[in-house]
Amino acid sequence: MTTELPTDIKSTSSEIQIDKPSSKWLPPGLALQKVDEKIMTLNVGPQHPGSGHMRLIVQIDGDYIVACDPDPGYVHRGEEKMAEYRNYITNIPHLERPVIHDSCNILYPYVLGVEELLGIEVPERAKYVRVIAAELNRCIYIMYWLAIYGIFLGHSTMFMWPTGDRELLIDLMEKMTGARVTHSHFIPGGVRNDLPANFEEVCLRQVNYFEKRIKEYAAVFYDNPILIARTQDTGVLSRQDAIRLGVTGSVLRASGIDYDVRKKEPYDVYDELDIQSIVMTEGDAYARSKIPWLDMMDSCNIIRQALQKMPKSGSVRVKLKPNPKGKGFDTVYKRVESGRGSLGCYIVSDGKPEPYRLKLSVPSFRNLIALPYLLKGEKLGNMPSVYWSLNYWPVEADR
Amino acid sequence: MGTATGIIRALNSGIKHLAVKRFTLRYPEEKLKFVGDGYQYDPSTGVGIAGLKGRHLLFHDKCTGCQLCAIACEGVAEAIAMVKVPEQHKHNKKAIMPQIDYGKCVFCGLCVDACPFYALYMTNDYELSTFSKEGLIYTPAQLQVKPYVAQDSEIIITDRGASHG
Repeated sequence: MTTELPTDIKSTSSEIQIDKPSSKWLPPGLALQKVDEKIMTLNVGPQHPGSGHMRLIVQIDGDYIVACDPDPGYVHRGEEKMAEYRNYITNIPHLERPVIHDSCNILYPYVLGVEELLGIEVPERAKYVRVIAAELNRCIYIMYWLAIYGIFLGHSTMFMWPTGDRELLIDLMEKMTGARVTHSHFIPGGVRNDLPANFEEVCLRQVNYFEKRIKEYAAVFYDNPILIARTQDTGVLSRQDAIRLGVTGSVLRASGIDYDVRKKEPYDVYDELDIQSIVMTEGDAYARSKIPWLDMMDSCNIIRQALQKMPKSGSVRVKLKPNPKGKGFDTVYKRVESGRGSLGCYIVSDGKPEPYRLKLSVPSFRNLIALPYLLKGEKLGNMPSVYWSLNYWPVEADR
Repeated sequence: MGTATGIIRALNSGIKHLAVKRFTLRYPEEKLKFVGDGYQYDPSTGVGIAGLKGRHLLFHDKCTGCQLCAIACEGVAEAIAMVKVPEQHKHNKKAIMPQIDYGKCVFCGLCVDACPFYALYMTNDYELSTFSKEGLIYTPAQLQVKPYVAQDSEIIITDRGASHG
């Protein structure tokens, strides 16, 4: 066997050219770059507590950010590949792992897709139970995000209050599903179990109190002049840029575009409920941080409506065969509005009990794309307020 | 609204909370009350019964050693292994029963959904920590024991705020 040198080594000349970008791919931050005396490169993360499980390569000139290159991928788990080796039911516990705080919403598109593949009709009561679970989970996620947003802006009261009030809803989810965070509650054909006795009453009481509590956040956080000074007019995303970059959820609605999947493509019983999608036109970090808070009040409203309209009795789950499988080659794409934006799931079936291919289209990754554009020209001190306002969850982006 | 008014309002809102009841649960002394006796599943209707997904409870007089729970766990956590048991039952010719490794279990409850003989349920017992890895492996004899759980604390909402009482 003759060994030949690869062609790219032969052609390399003796002098290294730094100006031209090398054709060989290198991980970000490792490629040779021309050194500018004024510009300093700063790695924020992956060990930095303010970055999440990712790295932000920030170039600064004095105190101003010249360029930012987000480098996700530190918590890649191969969820999509794992799904190809498990059947439609055993996929449920591991598919909710990317966002354990929003586990009902990340399972929702998968379950809707599998139901269409298998041709299952879901009972009416199960649809309402799912809507209640999804809305409670959205609030649980937003409260967690709000706590993190508060602590990274140096507002430790805003860390304590949401973490405590989140307990009210976690308690409800625990009563409903039997687990505090990873519920594994949704299943193709409905939900795993019926609601416990007098759940409606307890739910209504705790959700009403929860709404009263989150209204108190206005004085301490959202109307606080210190927060307004730090977030207003920082990281402005214009309406055109929001469309061009393809951001979703609260980031999109903060830029003045009324787009909510629950309203535009209603799934389950969302078309029977009155949903108010909140839109702000400023497009700055303040608007992006305020919209999830207003969303929570809307969620409380939806939960109350769903509790009222829900059929008082009936089945909540269709009994499935042991190894459910699709009918030959088929594809399906479903999406829902999660706590961060539109979350899609694309499933390809080839008639076997396992999916042939599964793809999750996650809002966190789509919102992260906007970050380099938002940070350009900002002060380094404003980086946390802009970065966390994107409603970004690193584990979900990596899947 | 001026800056000074805003800051005073924020401080005022914080000071009001000095009178609000403590929400935190003093865990080892107080324990949360759960719904029912743990997650259960009725194979005749195909619907689960709400409850906490805690440690499992195995009924030796019902288990047939069919391994359906172990098969259900295969793609999830591989926590269930079928082991030999000394006692002989007429309905369990092979004399095998599930042994659960709680170092691997994710408490999804799909094994309970898989059991067609009402033999495997979950309980309200969530205090499973031990000092060794082997201590997390529960044999069929350990799984048979019904746990004693004293749980009484619930969220109570009054005018002074929510608290665990």
